[in-house]
Amino acid sequence: MELKIRKNGENYIIDVNGEMDLYNSYKLKELVMKMLEKKVERFIINLENVDYIDSSGIGALIYICSTIKKMNLKLIITNIHGSVKKVIELTKLMGYFPITNSIEEAIQQMEE
Amino acid sequence: MSDKTYLSEIKEIRVDENSPLFDKTGMLYKEFSSDYRQIRYYTLLIVQSAPIEIKEINLLEQQISEVIKNAVKHGNRSNPAKKVRVWYSFDLDHAHLIVEDEGEGFKDLEKWNEFNRKRLECLANQDFEKLADFVSFRTAKSDENDGGNALFAALEYWDGGFVFNSKRNAVAMLKKFPHKRH
Repeated sequence: MELKIRKNGENYIIDVNGEMDLYNSYKLKELVMKMLEKKVERFIINLENVDYIDSSGIGALIYICSTIKKMNLKLIITNIHGSVKKVIELTKLMGYFPITNSIEEAIQQMEE
Repeated sequence: MSDKTYLSEIKEIRVDENSPLFDKTGMLYKEFSSDYRQIRYYTLLIVQSAPIEIKEINLLEQQISEVIKNAVKHGNRSNPAKKVRVWYSFDLDHAHLIVEDEGEGFKDLEKWNEFNRKRLECLANQDFEKLADFVSFRTAKSDENDGGNALFAALEYWDGGFVFNSKRNAVAMLKKFPHKRH
């Protein structure tokens, strides 16, 4: 799994590439925690290039989401598709996660 | 407004040694040592015999990987001396698995069912604030890599049943794939 950060105004977009599985999902969690230490306040997690997620990956997203919610900061998860969407649906978390269909929509929602 | 569909059929993890799902007749068999690093590889060895039509890209693989992970990590505590035994059978209509470890059994099964019931109540009430307390099932032995959500999805995915034996160290599961009408 590869993680890249890019900035769009005040928003930090994390592009996740690869599989979010039991061996590497902790990396995303660690990255977000480091960014929180550096006072980043707006996160967009882009899952466009993620085709596989397991319970560890879902767990990482839950941890990130609950941490950011508790700190009253902003998070949007975007471009969820295929079996990743299916696994989140099976876990019934589509309503729990803040989700948009595209990065553009995520950026727009950040401004609201 | 509450959404009763979440409560209309509360699924539970059952214990039933005599479930027909434990009938191993005609099933293929593999056994593995409990090497945490090999979990996804073991899964691929199993899932490769499934017809592509039921793989749903990698959903079947992902769901099997979760039960093998539970056996290796939570059952056998990743002790390579302990084995995970897998019986499996796939065709266009079904995926049937039995996964057995050498651990002490899923002792928190009742706690899990209770936790899941509360989780489904939060969903029925659309109470996402309270749901935050029920998104991840933790035990004293959970670590930070445990998502604590694998069995929520498993109960939904394995729609033909997800049943433990009396010792609770083996779980049998069935997924049905309805034929598409042409």
